[in-house]
Amino acid sequence: MNFIEVSAILKLSLYVSMLATFIAVCIGLPLGSIIAIKKFPFKKIIIALINTGMGMPPVVVGLFVVLLLSRNGPLGFIQWLYTPTGMVLAQVIIATPIITGLSLAAVQSVEPGFYQQILALGATTRQSICILVREIRLSILAAVIAGFGSIISEVGAVMMVGGNIKGQTRVLTTATVLETHMGNFEVAIALGLILLTMSFIVNLALTFIQQGKPRYTPP
Amino acid sequence: MLKIENLELNFPGRLNLFIDKLSIENGRTLAIIGPNGAGKTTLLNIIALFQKPDGGSIQIWGEDILKAADKLKFRRKISFVFSQPYLFNETVYNNIALPFRLRGVRKTQAVDEMLDLFKIGRLKMNMASTLSQGEKHRVALARAFVTQPRLVLMDEPFLSLDARFKRSLMNDLRRIVKLSKATVIFVTQDQFEALALCDTMAVMVNGKIMQQAGPEDIFVRPGSKEIADFVGIETIVEGRVYKKEENLCFIKVKDKILKAVSEYSAGDDVFFCIRPEDVTLSLPEKQAGEQIDTNSARNHFQAVIINIEPWRLGYKLILDCGFNLAASVTAQSVKSLDLRIGREITASFKATAVHVIRRESRDDGI
Repeated sequence: MNFIEVSAILKLSLYVSMLATFIAVCIGLPLGSIIAIKKFPFKKIIIALINTGMGMPPVVVGLFVVLLLSRNGPLGFIQWLYTPTGMVLAQVIIATPIITGLSLAAVQSVEPGFYQQILALGATTRQSICILVREIRLSILAAVIAGFGSIISEVGAVMMVGGNIKGQTRVLTTATVLETHMGNFEVAIALGLILLTMSFIVNLALTFIQQGKPRYTPP
Repeated sequence: MLKIENLELNFPGRLNLFIDKLSIENGRTLAIIGPNGAGKTTLLNIIALFQKPDGGSIQIWGEDILKAADKLKFRRKISFVFSQPYLFNETVYNNIALPFRLRGVRKTQAVDEMLDLFKIGRLKMNMASTLSQGEKHRVALARAFVTQPRLVLMDEPFLSLDARFKRSLMNDLRRIVKLSKATVIFVTQDQFEALALCDTMAVMVNGKIMQQAGPEDIFVRPGSKEIADFVGIETIVEGRVYKKEENLCFIKVKDKILKAVSEYSAGDDVFFCIRPEDVTLSLPEKQAGEQIDTNSARNHFQAVIINIEPWRLGYKLILDCGFNLAASVTAQSVKSLDLRIGREITASFKATAVHVIRRESRDDGI
C-alpha cells in the first residue's frame, strides 16, 4: 500500500465521517432541543426510541441500509449502494440518535425557568434555541464528539454499505480489517495509528472550541 | 389598564385556578400575596403567555392577549423577573443588552443608564458568573427594565437574597419602578416586601383572589379568616354579636363580652381579629388607678401570661383571658413589668382595633 493509496483512504475516511457528523448535528441538535422543550403526546415513548437508537448495533444499521439501497430495495433507483454517499447515509443513521439523545438530555438539564427567561426577554423560538444551545455548548460539543467518535471508529456498516472497494469506498477502518485478515500486521498497525491520530486531531479541535472563552454574538 | 376576567386553569388534584376579576391601573404596582401553592406563579405564567389557561380573558392595552395572533408582540412589551436571576454566561453589559439584540436594535445609552440606575456600572465588563447573588439580581432587574416594558411581572424577585441586600435593592427598585412608569405585578410570600413596593394588594388562596384592596385594608381589615391568618393576625376568635348600640357591637365569646366598632347586627356569627401591636398591657395593681381612666381603650381583660416568645424586635405574649390573645411588647417592657409565664396582667385594646369578619353560622352554643 503506497502513500497515495493511504492518503486517499484517509481523505475518504475524513470526508465520510465529517459529512455524516455534520448532517447528524444538523438533524439531531434541533430535534433534540425541540423534543426537550416542547410538550406533545407520546413524548416519553419518542425519547425511549431515541435512547434505543443511541445503542443501535452498526451492523443492523448496515443491513437496513443495504436492504434499502440494494437494486431491488425501495431506494435502489438512486444507486447509492457501494458509494461514499451510501456510507454517509449509514453513518448519519448511526450518529443522529446519539447526537439527538445527548442534546435532548443537555437541554433537559437546563432549569425550566431558564428557557422561560429567554422567551421573556423577547426571543423567538429560533433565537431561544440558539441562546440555549450556546449556553449548554459544553454538553452539545460533547454530543458532537460522541457522534463523531461513534462513526469514525465504525466498521460494520461502512463495510456492508460501502463494500470496501479499493480506491472507491475503502476507509481506514475497513482497510485495517482487510490488512489484518491478509496478515499484513505492520500495515494494519500503521493504519490504526493514523486512525487514532486523525481522531485525536479532530477531537482536539472540537475540545478547543468546547473549552474556549465564550463570546456572545447576536443571533 | 390590565383586566383579568374569569380566568380558569385546572390541574386536576392539584390546583383549580379561577380568577373571576382582577384589575390594575396603568403605572401602578400590584402585589399578589398568598401561601405556597396558592397559584400565584401560575397566574403570572399565564399573564406572561408561558401557560395557556382553560378559559377567560386578559385585557391589556385594550386587547385580549390570550386571543392575539402575534404573541411575540405582547411578550416584547412585558418583562419577567424570576426568583432566580438566570444570567447568561456573558458580561454584565451583554446580559443587559440581550433584549435589544433579540429585537435587532442597538441602544448602548439605554444599557448604560440601567447600569447606573441599578448601581452596577463598575461591573459592566465582568462576567456574570463572577458576580455575587445580590449583584446578579441587580443585573436581572436592569435587564428587565432596559427595554422600558409597559408591564413587569416579578415572581418572588428577592427570594434568595439576605436582608441587607434585599433592603437596598428594594429601595432602588421602588425608585426605578416609579421612574419607569411601568405597571408592575409582583408575587411574594413576604408581606413586608409587598408593603414596601405595592400600591394595591391581592391575596390569593387556593387558586382564587380572596381580596384585592389597598395594603392597609388587607392588613387591618382582612376580608376573611384565611386572609387574617395569612397576614399574621394571631388572635382570630369565634364569637357572636349579642347586642348592638349605634356602631358598637357587643360580641360574646364564652363568658366574656368584647366591644368592637363594626357594622354587624345582633345574632351574627363572627370572627374577631386583634393585631398583637394593638394590645396594651398594664399590671393589675395599677388598673384601678389613673391608667385605665386615661386610656381610651374600651376593652379590658384580666389575663394570665401563658407563653412568651421573641417576636420581631421585642416579644410576643400569649395571654389567656377567657380566649387566647396575642400581645406584642418591647424587651424593655418585659423587664420593667417583670413579665413572665403565669403572671397576671390586664390586657386592653380599643373597640376600633377589633376587626370583625362574618362567620358561617353554626349552632355551637357560643
